[in-house]
Formats: sequence, C-alpha cells, structure tokens
Amino acid sequence: MRMLESGRHRVALHEIRDGGGPTLLWLHALGGSARDAARAGSHWPGRVLALDFPDHGASPRPLGGVYTCELFAADADAALEAAGDACLAGEGVGAYVALLLAGTRADRVPAALLLPGRGLDGGGPEPDFTVDHATHDAHVAEVLARNDARDEHELDPMLYLVERDLRPPDYALQFAEAARRLLLGEDGGLRPPWWRACREAPDSESAPADLPAALARLLAHGLR
Amino acid sequence: MMPDPGLHRFMTTPACRILLGSMHITYPGAEAPDRSRFVRSLGLRIHLHEWGDPAAPPIVCTHGFADHGRGFDLLAPLLAHAGYRVIAVDARGHGDSDRPDAYHWFPEVLDLVQVLRDLGEPAHVVGHSRGGGQATDAAGVYPAGVRKLVNLDGFGPPSDEGFEVPGRPRENLTAPGQMARFLDWRSRAAGRETFRPCATLEELAARRKEQNPRLSDEWLLYFAAAGARRTEHGWAWKVDPFAGRGMGPFRPDWIAPNWRRLRVPMLAVIGSEPDTWGPLPEPLLGERLSNVPDLERCVVEDAGHFMHMEQPERTARILLDFLEGGA
Repeated sequence: MRMLESGRHRVALHEIRDGGGPTLLWLHALGGSARDAARAGSHWPGRVLALDFPDHGASPRPLGGVYTCELFAADADAALEAAGDACLAGEGVGAYVALLLAGTRADRVPAALLLPGRGLDGGGPEPDFTVDHATHDAHVAEVLARNDARDEHELDPMLYLVERDLRPPDYALQFAEAARRLLLGEDGGLRPPWWRACREAPDSESAPADLPAALARLLAHGLR
Repeated sequence: MMPDPGLHRFMTTPACRILLGSMHITYPGAEAPDRSRFVRSLGLRIHLHEWGDPAAPPIVCTHGFADHGRGFDLLAPLLAHAGYRVIAVDARGHGDSDRPDAYHWFPEVLDLVQVLRDLGEPAHVVGHSRGGGQATDAAGVYPAGVRKLVNLDGFGPPSDEGFEVPGRPRENLTAPGQMARFLDWRSRAAGRETFRPCATLEELAARRKEQNPRLSDEWLLYFAAAGARRTEHGWAWKVDPFAGRGMGPFRPDWIAPNWRRLRVPMLAVIGSEPDTWGPLPEPLLGERLSNVPDLERCVVEDAGHFMHMEQPERTARILLDFLEGGA
C-alpha cells in the first residue's frame, strides 16, 4: 500500500495483485474498501490496484465534511496517474466515479466496467422541489448531531452527500460519450437514470452480471 | 501594475505611511468587533466576530466569496447601536476560519446552521452575495434557527458560467472538458498558500479595486488591512486559494425553486447601480424571487453590489425597518 497526495486528500492505493499485462484499477462501493477488489484478483491476469476513497479503508477522513463524486474521481485520477494506463472497474458509487474518470481521461482508460452496489443511484437526475423537506431537515440535524459527537470509528455521516448528489442523465451521457469503452454490468436490476443514459452512448455495451465473465470482456478491450 | 492614482495619493501621505506601518488603519464609521470566538463545524473552527450587547437579540451576518467577516465593520456597529448583538461569520477558508480539504456549497450552508444552533436562540440572518445564497439555504434547512432573513444581492449567478467579468474569457467546454480543467487546477492549487501576493497593502487594495470599482480607495485599504496578512512573499488575502472552485452538475434554474420552502420572511435587497457581480437582470430576478412565499423587496440608492459597504446607514435603516416591522 502507498499513500497518494490528491489535492489536499491523502488516499491509500493498494496493490492487490502483481502481474504483467493490462492494469486493473478497482473503485469500491460506498462503505466498502480496497479489500473488495480481492474478488477480482484471481480473474485478472495483470496487475490489480485498488483505491480506498476518503474516509474508507486506510484513507483518512478529510477535513470539513466535503464529499462529492467529482472529488472521488479526482482521487481516482491520482491513482490512475500512479498506475499508468488502466482499465477501471467500479461498484456502486465507484461505478459512477469510473464513468467520470473514463470520460475525462479517455487517453489513459481503454475501458471501464460499471457494477451495481451501494451509492449507485445518487440523489436523482435533478432536485425534487416537491418533496416534504421535513425528512431531509431531520436527517441534516441528525448528521450534524453525529458530527458533533465525531465517532472516528464509523463512516463520516457527511458521506450521505454522495448518496444524494444529483446525477443528471445528460451530464452522465457526456462522460459516456467521451469514454473509449463502457461496460455496463446488467443483472436485471433497476438502474438509475444516469446509468440508463449511458446505455445510449455509442461505445457502451452491456456486460454479464457474472464478475469473471465481465472482467474477461473488460480485459479483451484492455488488450486492444 | 500601477495603483489607482487616487489611492496612490492617499497612500503616500506621511500620516498614511505611519498608519500603514502600525496597521492601525481607520475608516470613518468603521468599528472593529468587540469580541471574537470560534464555533466548531464539521471538524473546522469557524471564526465569529461580534459587536454589541451579548444579551441582545442576535443578527448573524455572512459575507460573499473572497470577502471576510470584517466587511461588516460599517454595518454591524449601526445594528449593534440599535440594540442587537451582531455576529459576523468568517466562512470556511476565509478570514480566520479553518481551511477544509475541499469545498462545496452545502457543507458551507451547514456551517451556518451550526452557528445558528450554537446561538441557542433564533436569530435574524443577513447574508451578502454568495453568503446571501447560503443564508437563504440555511433558513430553508433550519427554519427553527431563523427569525427573519435579509438577502443582500445573493440571488445566484445568471448562468452556469456565473457573472460576466471583464477580461475573463468564456469557453464552452463539455462536462469531461470541465472536469479535466478542474483536475489540473486542483493539483496546481492544492499547494498554494495564498492568491498572488502584493508587495504592499496598497497594491493589494488597488488590485481589488479592479473588480470592485465602486468601492472607495480608503475603504478598500481598510478592508484589505482587516482581511489580508503578510507572508514571506508580500501581502495576501487570508482567503484560501483552494476555495470557491468545484466541479459537478449545476444549473441556475435549480436555485430559486428551493426558496419555495422558506418559512421565514425574506427581504431581498439590491443596489440601484449596475455592478460587476449584480444585480441580475430584473426579469430573471423577479422570476427567481417569485418563489419566495413571504417576500419584501428594497433597493439601496447610490449603491452597487456592496451596498452595506457603500451605503451602510441606508442599508442599516432598511434592515431595521424590516426586522422591527410587521409580524
């Protein structure tokens, strides 16, 4: 494991598996960690790296309670910089981050595999101005009260921001269109609007739900 | 860069030189805060300036981007003398508040909620510019903490590119292009301690004048003295150069519908004169404000975006009429 500087974040990058051939960079789901990449290790012939997002695994809690998927993508960009070219595989929030990075750094990312998991949906395509805010306000009060207590052993309550962030389909589609190849892991489950928009990008395709089979497809694109 | 000639004349007077040397720069009507303290929010120390009787009813003031709480040194004493306890917040990364590791709108709104929770009693809230937008959102999220809300020209940018600023070119980038730009900026800016320093405080004030041409040289010097610090490379604003730039989907038409939830009266204030950062064109401003359930509007004559600095007495009168009038 090594610590990377990313803006003012320090994030842990783990080498899950050593090997030649294309590199896989694994981006975990909300509440997960780089350890989740162990599942992929035996199905990828090359080097497997995995990042801990801020306040996850060995990455420390950033100061100030600011979490966005774009900042996670910036941290993943630091990992990509360290990895050289790499295929991405992301679960949950990591899938959305993989989309952002695959579209931004298309020259470095031959293909990205998006898989379901915690933090996949986000807060919807646009603000819902019709909701009764009492529930949200109560949640905010709870978050602030928990922050006052600052239990270092549980996840930062402010991480709820990356479960509620807006992910407009046309915004996601711009990243999908800029990406070289997107593999959308489909298992018949419902997918959020941003994901459904990605299906429309010319270089996206659906991938099997089965992880070894999906990784084999990702590898094929990585070898091209 | 040549300083403004008027400012330069003022700076070169012997009295001013002495004042600059001792940092005791004064300005007519400006009063430094009576007290200062910190409140914790999301792991940061948020710095507060206070004027007036600590037992008096509170008014919380929030400043705009790249400003600081001492920008209320003209308005706050007028409100304090009228019987209020005035609390001006240094936003995170501004003034003497802590710098976070990254910036985003909503946690800054929560900082304000934390300040209101800390007071333990509902307060009037007065926010300017970006601080006005955040004050409005804080009143939405935490209505129990807010009595009445005053928004001083903080009604959001006209477009997702913000206000048009002379000399700042606009580009039409795709979202991935903006993201690439953000990533490059972030890696460069993370290590910067301050925005570009100036050899002297006068130069710093003169540079600010380019963006705030309506503010007087004398006031800008006072404002700079209260919001800048001396570094090994010269005078620099205390504001964190990492502040104020983020990346993510944003649409200006997401701003105002959120105001429908406001359960407190809002006074919307603009200056009568066009200025760099506002006001919005009237049709757009009227449309946005039509979302506010309980709204009063007012214009401060002979003032631009910084009405509380340009016309503190008029602004204070308008505020006091609103805060003390009606239900």
